[in-house]
Amino acid sequence: MVALFHNAGEAPRLRIVRQLPLFATLSRRELRVVDSLLHERRYLKGEIVFDAGEHGQALYVIVAGRVLICRQGEPDTGRIAELEAGVVFGELALLDNAPRAAQARAAEDCVLASLSRADFESLLDTHAIAASKIALQLARQLGRQLREQNAARPEG
Amino acid sequence: MTSNADDDGSSRYVSTGPFVWVATLAVTTLLLVLLKQALWLVVPFLVAVVVYYALFPPVHRLMLAGVPRSTAASLVAGAFVVVAVLALVPAVSWTAAHAVSGQEAFYRYLDAGRVLIDKTLAMLEARFGFLERMHFHEQVGRRMAEFGETNLQKQLTAALLGAAAWLPSLLLAPFFAFFFLRDGQRFLKFLGAAVPNAYFERTLYMLERFDTTARAYFHGLLKLTAIDTVCMSVGLWVIGVPGAAVLGLATAVLSWVPVVGPIVGGILVILVTATDFPDQPQLVYAAIALLAAMRLLDDFVFLPLTVGRSLRMHPLPTVLLIFVGGAVAGVPGLILALPLAGLVMVIAGTIGGVLDDPRLRARHAFAKRLRAERITADLGAND
Repeated sequence: MVALFHNAGEAPRLRIVRQLPLFATLSRRELRVVDSLLHERRYLKGEIVFDAGEHGQALYVIVAGRVLICRQGEPDTGRIAELEAGVVFGELALLDNAPRAAQARAAEDCVLASLSRADFESLLDTHAIAASKIALQLARQLGRQLREQNAARPEG
Repeated sequence: MTSNADDDGSSRYVSTGPFVWVATLAVTTLLLVLLKQALWLVVPFLVAVVVYYALFPPVHRLMLAGVPRSTAASLVAGAFVVVAVLALVPAVSWTAAHAVSGQEAFYRYLDAGRVLIDKTLAMLEARFGFLERMHFHEQVGRRMAEFGETNLQKQLTAALLGAAAWLPSLLLAPFFAFFFLRDGQRFLKFLGAAVPNAYFERTLYMLERFDTTARAYFHGLLKLTAIDTVCMSVGLWVIGVPGAAVLGLATAVLSWVPVVGPIVGGILVILVTATDFPDQPQLVYAAIALLAAMRLLDDFVFLPLTVGRSLRMHPLPTVLLIFVGGAVAGVPGLILALPLAGLVMVIAGTIGGVLDDPRLRARHAFAKRLRAERITADLGAND
């Protein structure tokens, strides 16, 4: 209960949030608003963050550790990507309401910051500039992933 | 939280089977029994929720203009308290000054009501011979006199004493509302942090539905009150009843109490009309016709369009819940039954959805095992 009214020590956490590329362009005030919406989650190595086919309610940013994105139930043979600190995942569910395309599980002990769909939509209403900055960063990351996939695709 | 969570297919995570209905009915009834014991706290809490949803739009606008949430909450709550005090001070002084004449007026209205019933019964006896042979007028008159001497005085005294006991606790309402406005988001985060990872996204979904349901219900209630006030005031003004706006507002607010509220509001309107127009019973009948029309409009048009939409409940359990609420917790039970059931249904549906999902429970069990292994990893080292 104490944590509910505890404000001290917010600054170090804000510094961590600012270092995440998704929130790097936010002003200090916008950052504080976004930080108030973020849920911090801790996962142990091997723990599942979400399954493929689930209707996602949130996107995740890796604050510390690594996350494996793989085909459902195939962490060894169906690896799609291994994401490091600072990377966003699960954002597609937020953008197009589609089911999760793959499974996400902690590749090592990790700390994730989660932004729920409801809070993101609320942010679009109340702090449109901050929300558009986040959306732009999301679009940049998606573009980068698309280019990487195109580059990896065999010619022909 | 403005999105409609049901549009994205996530609604399949909410169970709506017989388990959820039975659990909703049982838990709502149990909560009503418990809440009845703490009405002094429940009433200001409920008022605070109404105030919260009424004040949230201006807080939202200030946040949109770049004002931090806590500052916006303080400004809006402060303005609300100032306006409430400015409105209450003259109202209290007026009430104190007119207490004696108010009591006289109350008995005058009651007397006019008795005269109206006498005239109506006499007219009915004159028109239908079998009523005269039954001494219908005389018998009803005697029953009314007995009721007035015993029940009415006792119940009125009890109601006034009860209201006087609650009034100080109502001062808690703005206090609660301010903290809802300022710390609501922080409370949701706090709640989310207590949930295991496997159920985290379901909890987010549940909290969103919870907020959407409560917001829609209380916004619906405020809209319904505004519509009822306008329609009733215009109707009474057309008939020529004095104080049409005040009477319209009073009947609209009384309608918050299902079943009993509209009856009390109707009696109020009829008594005022009968007192102000003792020789024109046709105006009283017009007021009764207006009340009946408003009741039909409320039940079949306004209510489904405002409050009904928020709860999405079938009429059968809705009626059942209202009666159960009234039976276990009286008038507060009548008021609380539906919103409480709506919120309990959200939670019961989410829990039902989790129980129906073995994969989710297996993930939770797996995470617990991982944690247990981590905690006990070094304990077997010395064996």
